Amino acid sequence: MNNKVDDKKIDDKKITQKDLMKVNIRWLLGGQLGWNYERMQGLPYCYAIIPILKKLYPDKEDLKKALKLHLQFFNTEPDMAHLILGANIAIEEKEGLKAEEAITGIKTGLMGPFAGIGDTIYGVIAGTVFGSIAAYMALNGNSLGIWIWTIWLVFRWILRWWFMKLGYAQGTKLVTTLSGKMKNITEAASILGLTVIGALIPTVIRANVPYVFTSGKVEMKLQGIFDQIMPALIPVALVGLVYWVLGKKKMTSTKTILLLMVLAVLLFNFKILS
Amino acid sequence: MNTFQIIALTIYAFLAMIDALETDIGLSKPIQAGFFTGLIMGDVGLGLAVGATLQLMILGVGTYGGASIPDFMTGAIIGTAFGVISGKGLEFAIGLAVPIGLFLVQLDVLARFTNTYFQHKADKYAEDGDIKGIERMNILGALPWGLSRAVPVFIALIFGTEIVQGLLKVFPSWLMGGLKVAGGILPALGIAILLRYLPVKRYFAYMLVGFVGAAYLKIPMVGVALLGLALAYMVYQRNSDTPNTLAGGVGEDE
Repeated sequence: MNNKVDDKKIDDKKITQKDLMKVNIRWLLGGQLGWNYERMQGLPYCYAIIPILKKLYPDKEDLKKALKLHLQFFNTEPDMAHLILGANIAIEEKEGLKAEEAITGIKTGLMGPFAGIGDTIYGVIAGTVFGSIAAYMALNGNSLGIWIWTIWLVFRWILRWWFMKLGYAQGTKLVTTLSGKMKNITEAASILGLTVIGALIPTVIRANVPYVFTSGKVEMKLQGIFDQIMPALIPVALVGLVYWVLGKKKMTSTKTILLLMVLAVLLFNFKILS
Repeated sequence: MNTFQIIALTIYAFLAMIDALETDIGLSKPIQAGFFTGLIMGDVGLGLAVGATLQLMILGVGTYGGASIPDFMTGAIIGTAFGVISGKGLEFAIGLAVPIGLFLVQLDVLARFTNTYFQHKADKYAEDGDIKGIERMNILGALPWGLSRAVPVFIALIFGTEIVQGLLKVFPSWLMGGLKVAGGILPALGIAILLRYLPVKRYFAYMLVGFVGAAYLKIPMVGVALLGLALAYMVYQRNSDTPNTLAGGVGEDE
């Protein structure tokens, strides 16, 4: 993967590979510690970029100005932030505080779209795929799925460092280079996610109908009839119902959980589900 | 419940929260928290089952944009621990974990709010160009975060036995049976939430492929994931060849 980033070129400048690594580690270990409602990742962003500021601004007044600049509002998906940090460092190294507006511009301009992409790929899709494999195996008493998930999560650390170098190498060009490619990746990832979800519905939702028809000597299990129509008919219907409920105004996931629990108690006691 | 167990689980809760924010090796996933608690309490199978059930409720749900989500990590720890102590197993554990997870969202909000103090202190340090001060403020932010998980675990486990005995009295069999059903159907919520995030209307066919693979052909989950990967790769290649104008991502087709 490193072949796309010219390592040698990085080392020729004021900012060394080592400086980038320092920022990388700081963000990896402290990128959300100071997260707060007012400026979200503002404090952590400043914390992460401090090694660069120290190097670029020997003058104390400049340093103060830079610290204040980087304490401002920032919030994005933590992995994607490495790209933004990298691009930010490239601009700041070249232009210094003259580029104050460009720096704020690239930070605020990229954080929104990158949060969308990062949350979709890392949060929604990867979370679904690895989470379902882990849960599926765990329900059968096997912890292997958890370790598969962990390996992926640790692999993300390597990606983060690569993002950092990529962002630094690309600088302001980052926006145009990545946006097209990212759209395709997000698109493909959604397909993977949806395929797994399709498989998840019949495997992890457990809902059986214990009701038995008796007419004369003939006994007929209602569940058996459902199974003939389609396997996992009840789970499919449940997902459809909850999907619909979630689309209602003022319906939150918390309210839906409570609703489902009440529903479960009722259905159990009326012997509709077991 | 011995002292070692209480301390180990409290420390785990603290570290898992920090891990969730930073390194993210997954300690904060309900399934890992359930597994670890099962290990400490001596019933790995129960821990895995509790963790997996909770995991399925919040698959792919994250703190996007700084939103608070049900704290099923803490729920999995407390639920599994009490499930083992009471000997009542999965239903009892889930019945505890879910309301606990929902209730503890308040502490997440509190932690995020408390950290505003450190941000303001950092602003003052910036006026003086005090780098060390700013660094300290960011690192101190770890305390509200970690404590928001460690404190409830510690308190719940300290009073564990009394709480369990009290709860067993108010958990009649009609409720236990209902919770058992709830454990089975709650994953429908996790799945439905995901479908709200994904472009389900445009790519409905792929979901159908996954469904047929699992429901009719009985392909295990890893196999379906590989099938999905193959389909995704084909679409990616096709899109890369022809520059497209499609936009994907969160919130599409809502």
